[in-house]
Amino acid sequence: MTETLDFVRGPLFLMTFGFLVLGLARHVFLRTFAVVRALRRTPCRDVPWGRVARKTAGWFLPVRHVLRGAPLMSMASIVFHVTILVVPVFLAQHVFLWHRGLGLSWPALAAGAADFLTLTALGTGVFLFLFRMVDRTARHMSRFSDYFLLAAVILPFASGYFALHPEGSPLPYETMLLIHVLSGELTFLLLPTTKLAHVVLFLFDRASTDIFWRFVPGAGDRVAEALRGSPKGAEAS
Amino acid sequence: MSQTATEPAVARTGRKTTARKYPWYVIQPVERDRVRRFLEAFAAILRYTNYKPLLDQYVRSSAKCSRCTATCPVYEATGDPRDIPCNRSALLLDVYRRHFTISGWMKAKLTGDPGLTEATIDEMARSFYRCTACKRCLLECPMGIDHGLLTHLGRWILGELRIVPKGLEIATIEQLHGESGNTSAILPHALVDTLEFLEEEIEEMFGIPIKYPVDRMDREYAFFPAVSDFLMEPETLMGNLVTIYAAGDNDRWTIGTGYYDGINYGLFYSDHVLERVVKKVVAEAARLRAKKILIGECGHASRSAKEFVPVFGGEQARPVVNIMEYTWEKLEEGKLDLDPDIVTEPVTYHDPCNIARSGWILEKPREILKSFCRNFVEMIPNRTENYCCGGGGGTVSVDEIHDFRMSVAGRKKAEQMRATGAKYVVAPCANCKKQLRELIEYHELDMQCVGLHDLILKAIRIPGAKPPEARAEG
Repeated sequence: MTETLDFVRGPLFLMTFGFLVLGLARHVFLRTFAVVRALRRTPCRDVPWGRVARKTAGWFLPVRHVLRGAPLMSMASIVFHVTILVVPVFLAQHVFLWHRGLGLSWPALAAGAADFLTLTALGTGVFLFLFRMVDRTARHMSRFSDYFLLAAVILPFASGYFALHPEGSPLPYETMLLIHVLSGELTFLLLPTTKLAHVVLFLFDRASTDIFWRFVPGAGDRVAEALRGSPKGAEAS
Repeated sequence: MSQTATEPAVARTGRKTTARKYPWYVIQPVERDRVRRFLEAFAAILRYTNYKPLLDQYVRSSAKCSRCTATCPVYEATGDPRDIPCNRSALLLDVYRRHFTISGWMKAKLTGDPGLTEATIDEMARSFYRCTACKRCLLECPMGIDHGLLTHLGRWILGELRIVPKGLEIATIEQLHGESGNTSAILPHALVDTLEFLEEEIEEMFGIPIKYPVDRMDREYAFFPAVSDFLMEPETLMGNLVTIYAAGDNDRWTIGTGYYDGINYGLFYSDHVLERVVKKVVAEAARLRAKKILIGECGHASRSAKEFVPVFGGEQARPVVNIMEYTWEKLEEGKLDLDPDIVTEPVTYHDPCNIARSGWILEKPREILKSFCRNFVEMIPNRTENYCCGGGGGTVSVDEIHDFRMSVAGRKKAEQMRATGAKYVVAPCANCKKQLRELIEYHELDMQCVGLHDLILKAIRIPGAKPPEARAEG
């Protein structure tokens, strides 16, 4: 068990974390490249970057939007997002690991606060899961991956909580720790490869409407050429 | 929507009926090999346009969070999950993921997913024309997904298979290939006759002759209203003329007989149509050597010129001005004298999505109206958050879906209008005007839909001309 735990905490962690960092960096690089290339194909490049940046910043913590649609779900979603970002980064045990491994250090959450935030993350995460199952529209829209990804994100928090509180844990400490580390590493793999990539793609979301309505001159003719061998429109065929 | 195209299409055309049903008449859609041809069209569009990076982004962003359900008037009215914007977009995103991404291809290999089917194409045809492309859902999408743009792309792909409502395509054919070269099939001599008729009307009203400048070269503005205004909106066009005349600018604008149509259905269903129509506008402005393109009261005409003249206009591109921007400027300069005692009834303003959603023209028409309408009331919500009239995205031109426009897409707007208690609803858009008039009739609202310049026509005071109160009596 100890050997397994050492492996998942050591080399496997490095590999998956490396995959996460490189995978997300790849997204940022590809998206930036795609935007630059898209704008090079159109003569109209006056994207209102200031407005786009303001909108993106506004959606970073979209409290203004809570009451405008599905308020309970929206509130839960905001709290969920904040807590799942804050807890892993500022948990004292994690800060300690960073310090031991790389000599980096930053302020950590007090134990009580960490517990509270973890339980909040779990509560809101479970609420969002149930909301998908129960709400008529959300249920209709949701697919397996929507449930799976949410569950995959919740699991490290549940196992982490029990690893820190072995007294209430249904499994032995080491088993729980193993589940915690493995499930965390699973999210590292899922983040760049699934819709969870919105953790960085989010930066590009708001710009899409301002960039991609700028069409490519001559594209319609070329499409017609490819389909009908002449630039004549479909309506003339 | 109980109506389908099949039976009436047979009655009209005498052609043999086809098994496939669309919710609207179609002229000559592709019937065979639709799946293959859809995918070929999709592939060609991805190759030559910028839609591929957009779809790459959206297939990873679509969170299926259901927040758009609170903003879409169509879904609010029907409660049908197929009308949820995110679900509608998923029709297209799924095809992209399955047929144009490696992960989708691998997943299909594992699961045996057959991919695009005939049924999905039918569902797209139905669904993409139940979206009025008002982009209201974009306001509340946490991932910033522009479902209006996806509707536009979906319609373009269908358009390459000629799965397009006849109401849109027939107008486009006339505009691009017909003798008249415009969507209402108005020939130049008929245009001149119409303008002369309007001039006579104005002379009768104002007691002085005021003429439309036709084919004048080197003017500041070349004017392109929605061409249907020449048939349907005489008061708007007369209002345009007297406003410009009163501002002392009648020798600074012109209407060209080479081309005089602001309407561009390409904005609704095809980049290819959009580009060719924009080029017609630009070419006529260049022929007239006009410095600017002035668009009449029409939302989609204004947007398709404002956004796409710079894209497709090349070296001949010119600045685009909407007539309300012009009028506001003249009001600010103190060149317009509007009598505040003429329009005393409550007046409300409908924001056309194509000029309001982006925040382009919001306050100017309000400031113009408030300057002479004592009793101005707002619809709630308004400005960038307005509700679509229910006939957006070209659906107003599809008569077969009248019931849908009245009881589903336009229901919210009818409720909004009723709540204002206004006697006039001002809609500076040819599409919105048609839809709102039908809504007023259908929902039995005690109000009248007019253009902004229709009210100006009533209230404007021109030195040496009959005053407004005398005109009202006359």
